[in-house]
Amino acid sequence: MKKVCCVLLSALSIVSTSAIALAADVSVETTTLLGIAQRDVSGASKENILPATQFFGLQADSLADGNLSLHIYGWGRTDMGDRSYSTDKNSGNLTYAYVQYAPDYANASVRAGRFFVREGIINEQLDGLNARTDLPAGLGLSVFGGATVHTAKLVGEGSDGKGDTLYGGRLNYRYRGMLEVGVSGVFESEAPELIAHPAANYRRIGADVWLAPLKTVDVIGHSSYNPETKKMAEHSYLLNYKPAREIVLTGEFNQHLEQSYLYAWTMFSGATLNPDYRSTSFGLSASYEINKALEVAADYKHYEREFGGANRFGGDMRVHYKDNTIRGGVGYHYLGADEGFSITPYTSASYHELRCYTMRDSKNYFTAIDLLGNFFEQKIYGKSSAWEANASVGYHITPGLALSGDLSYGRNPQFIEEVKTILRLTYNMNYPGIGGKK
Amino acid sequence: MSNRHIGISFFMVAALFALVASCAELKSIRGLPESHPESLAVGQQVSCAECHDDQQSGTLKAFDSFSHTSAFVKNHRFYAASDDQLCSICHKSSFCTDCHTNKVEMKPSTKYGHRPDREMQHRGNYITMHKIEGKIDPASCYRCHGRSNNERCVACHK
Ligand code: HEC
Ligand code: HEC
Ligand code: HEC
Ligand code: HEC
Ligand code: HEC
Repeated sequence: MKKVCCVLLSALSIVSTSAIALAADVSVETTTLLGIAQRDVSGASKENILPATQFFGLQADSLADGNLSLHIYGWGRTDMGDRSYSTDKNSGNLTYAYVQYAPDYANASVRAGRFFVREGIINEQLDGLNARTDLPAGLGLSVFGGATVHTAKLVGEGSDGKGDTLYGGRLNYRYRGMLEVGVSGVFESEAPELIAHPAANYRRIGADVWLAPLKTVDVIGHSSYNPETKKMAEHSYLLNYKPAREIVLTGEFNQHLEQSYLYAWTMFSGATLNPDYRSTSFGLSASYEINKALEVAADYKHYEREFGGANRFGGDMRVHYKDNTIRGGVGYHYLGADEGFSITPYTSASYHELRCYTMRDSKNYFTAIDLLGNFFEQKIYGKSSAWEANASVGYHITPGLALSGDLSYGRNPQFIEEVKTILRLTYNMNYPGIGGKK
Repeated sequence: MSNRHIGISFFMVAALFALVASCAELKSIRGLPESHPESLAVGQQVSCAECHDDQQSGTLKAFDSFSHTSAFVKNHRFYAASDDQLCSICHKSSFCTDCHTNKVEMKPSTKYGHRPDREMQHRGNYITMHKIEGKIDPASCYRCHGRSNNERCVACHK
């Protein structure tokens, strides 16, 4: 599989070069990263890690009659030192690869290949087909089906616990820019039998809503139902209130019936969770753009599970001036949590988090410094904090090609000391920005 | 069973495609452009209202609803659920798959170590912090690690 991916990626590079030769509307993006890390694992010897990772993306637009496009993205990694990730010295994955046919009306499109679908309560990756279109009278329809994209096998099992095929879709109705309601569902074929984990079929249906009764207010959210447990799985709603252009106030509410929502999370035996356990959270946030250069925000969120409650609150400040070439931010958050949320065998899960960063871009250079610290109320594995400092320096060789290097140093309960260096070469054929020619 | 599923979905997709290709009424429904006509600079909180006054054409929602305030970025899942088509006029799939994918070995904050201004999950020493965060809000983890991207997890979670 790993070899296949490496071969595939090299093949893709060749294909892309020939695609450029075909002079369609092609854009290529690549990121090459060479990591150099030394870590001191508690109780073990020092490890020297030297992985080289290649990300590769290609998009070819305006093919055939002009409505056809090709989209590909993937990565490969090879270790030149001690093993960096899994037991494999080489690894890779095809993130997506699909052709899309999209005529210029009704937001209609057909996709074939490996891609992601995000429709209502659905967020899936599959190898298959997807077609969608707007219909007269404000209606819209999307359907998809195909083979499941499998993930890593569960420990001691011959599979990841997912069925092999998947299908579903969404029907929606829109009224002007004020209201949208949708119903969606996703059905996976029978889950495979497992030895030590519960087999759980993945099926979910749900409804979503978007309501903007006034220019300043909107409510967005969804609820879903698990036909396997015959119970509701999730309620998730967001309220936005923008009394003025510079001010955004939000309120959110989430509730999950744990067994029903996490049913197919076989790694954590979701299907065997107590059917009555709920987790509920609600939050409030406010942000205020004082002027073009300065924004402040505050947030609060309360979490409630069967074994306790937790509160998180804090604030952030962001600055950006000189046309965004100088940016910075500071933030502080506190999580105060009941004992039930602590790491075994400790009794406190509460901690403070402090973050600050600053960055500077110029025509030729870009630099960034980032500091993050977590300070625990009770020591974890003998440490009272986990922190990391990262410095990055880069140079634009051409507008589309940039070379940068990061150096990071950290101390934390997991590794006594962690030093990481990364060399990064990024190439983006259509550099200018986001949107435009993409 | 599996073949039947594929059969059903193939049929549905083909039927919808036939509808799209043949129905003259659909051709009169205006769609979004393939890409956003204006290229926007990275590294800013895009305010749609800066360039679009709030008139909506057809069933398009108010532009300003999509202004990338910090609240929008934190809550983008609500917007992506019904307007993925709109997102894709500016964002390639790869923009989303930096954070949402089936298999990757690198945290997005490492891939983009030169972009501390971005709102990336798991900065710092997340191996330690996740043992608390995973208990506080497991549903949020399920969204990305539930049915995908679990190679790292199975090394410790049996
Ligand atoms: C720097 C200015 C600028 C910003 C910021 C901007 N746009 Fe645009 N946008 C344009 C221009 C110019 C056009 C093409 C002219 C038009 O249709 O208004 C356009 C067109 C569009 C269209 C196509 C309209 C149609 O009916 O064909 C959509 C949709 C759109 N923009 C959405 C957005 C969204 C959503 C945002 C915020 C996330 C945004 N834009 C931010 C300049 C901008
Ligand atoms: C008009 C163009 C435009 C549209 C439409 C648009 N975005 Fe964005 N988005 C941007 C730009 C520009 C950035 C900044 C990227 C950067 O700084 O690298 C961005 C950034 C983001 C980020 C990352 C922020 C971060 O800090 O990491 C998310 C998440 C995002 N957009 C989600 C969405 C979703 C979901 C939609 C659809 C509902 C959407 N966007 C529609 C232009 C757009
Ligand atoms: C910087 C990282 C990042 C980027 C880039 C990003 N997301 Fe997300 N996304 C997240 C996080 C974190 C969550 C979980 C939020 C939560 O739990 O509240 C999430 C949640 C979601 C969900 C909900 C998933 C579910 O199963 O409920 C959807 C859908 C989604 N994002 C779509 C998108 C789309 C579309 C894009 C690209 C336009 C995108 N995201 C880009 C980080 C990102
Ligand atoms: C938006 C998607 C997204 C969400 C939401 C998300 N993760 Fe992740 N997570 C990732 C990606 C991508 C990686 C990098 C892949 C890897 O290291 O295997 C990652 C890596 C990790 C790692 C390995 C970190 C390291 O330093 O190597 C842990 C542990 C983790 N996630 C736990 C969690 C927990 C617990 C939650 C919920 C509180 C969560 N994740 C929510 C996408 C997500
Ligand atoms: C280095 C080993 C290690 C890795 C890798 C790891 N975890 Fe954990 N995880 C732990 C430990 C230890 C705990 C705490 C258990 C305790 O305190 O009872 C934990 C706790 C959790 C919890 C809270 C569950 C509970 O109630 O105990 C979640 C959720 C979680 N991890 C998800 C993940 C996900 C998702 C990944 C992969 C992205 C991951 N973990 C990777 C070791 C790991």
